[in-house]
Amino acid sequence: MAYLIPAIFLIVLVFALVKKVKIYDEFSLGIGEAVRFTLSLLPCLAAVFMMCELFEVSTLSQRLTDLLSPLFSLLGIPKELTKLVLIKPFSGSGSIAYLTEIIQKYGADSYIARCACVCFGSSETVFYISAVYFAGLKKKNLAAPIAIVLISTFFTTILGCLICKFM
Amino acid sequence: MNTVFTVIFIISLVAVTIISPSSFLPALLSGVESSLSIAVTLFCIYAVWMGLSRIAEKSGLNKYAARALSPLSKKFFKTSDSVATQNIAMNLSCNLLGIGGAATPFAVKAIEALEKEGNDYAQKLLFVINATSVQIVPTTVIALRSGAGSAAAADIFLPSLICTAFSTLFAVVLFIFWCKVWRT
Repeated sequence: MAYLIPAIFLIVLVFALVKKVKIYDEFSLGIGEAVRFTLSLLPCLAAVFMMCELFEVSTLSQRLTDLLSPLFSLLGIPKELTKLVLIKPFSGSGSIAYLTEIIQKYGADSYIARCACVCFGSSETVFYISAVYFAGLKKKNLAAPIAIVLISTFFTTILGCLICKFM
Repeated sequence: MNTVFTVIFIISLVAVTIISPSSFLPALLSGVESSLSIAVTLFCIYAVWMGLSRIAEKSGLNKYAARALSPLSKKFFKTSDSVATQNIAMNLSCNLLGIGGAATPFAVKAIEALEKEGNDYAQKLLFVINATSVQIVPTTVIALRSGAGSAAAADIFLPSLICTAFSTLFAVVLFIFWCKVWRT
C-alpha cells in the first residue's frame, strides 16, 4: 500500500514529461486552485463548526445520547457507541477524537472498539459533505438525499455491530 | 442545510443560555478556531492532489480515464459532459484508494460541471455515493488501531468492506427508487 501513492506520482510525472507539460508551472497553478478552493470552503466550515461546538457545549448532545442509548442497544448497537453514531454525521475530527478515546478505554481488540472502527470506516460526515459540495450553488433541496444517506448509515451500523460478533 | 443549521443553532443557543450563558461566545470562537485548523489540514491535502491533478489534466491523462469510464457515467449519471465525467472518475478513484480528502475537490468540480448541464439527478447521486463512504482500505482506522497496540490491526478490513459496500449500495438503490417514485 505504501508504494501506491509514490507510484501514482511517478506515473503522472513521467507521462507529463513525455507530453512536454511544464510541470512546475502547472503544479503551482494547481496549488493556486487549492488555495482558492480552501478559502471558498472556509465560511461554510466556520458556520458548521460553530454550530457543532454550541451543540456540544449546550450538553444537548449528551442528553440526546442518554435518550437514544436504550433504543440503540435494543437494535444491537452497544450503548458506548451511541455518541459516536450521533457525532459522525456532523464532525470528522470530533468523531476521530471520540474513536481514539473508545480504542484506548476498551482496548483496540475489544468488541466495542472493533464495532466503533467498522462504524467509523463505513460512514461519512454527511452534513459537512453536503455543505461543501453544494456551497457554490443556489437553493438545492437536499432533504431527501440526506435522509437516505442517514438511514443507510444507520442500518449499516446495525449490520456492522452484528458482523463484529462473528468476525 | 438552512433548516438543519437554524434549528440546531437556536435550540442549542437557548439551552446554553439556560445552563451557562457565559460559555456562549467562547464556544462560537473555539468553533471558528477549529474550522481554521481543519482548513489548514484540508489545504495541505488539496495542495498536493490538486497540483498533481492539474499536471495530469494538462498531459491529457484525465481524458483517458474519462474515456474509459464514459459509458458507465452515461448509464449511471446520465451525463455526457466530459469535464463532469473526468471529475467523477477522479473522485471515485480517490475514494476507492482511501484518499478521501483528495476526492472532495473533484466532486465539487463535477457538481459545478453538472450544474451547467442542469443535471440535478447526477449531482445528488454523486453526493449519496460520497456521503456513504466507498473506501476499500480504511487507512485511518487501521493506523489508529495499530497505534493503540492491536494484535491484528488489519483484521477490521473485511467487516469494514462489507459494511461500506452495503451502505453505498443500499443508499444508491434507495435513491434511484426515490427518484422513480417522485417523478411518476
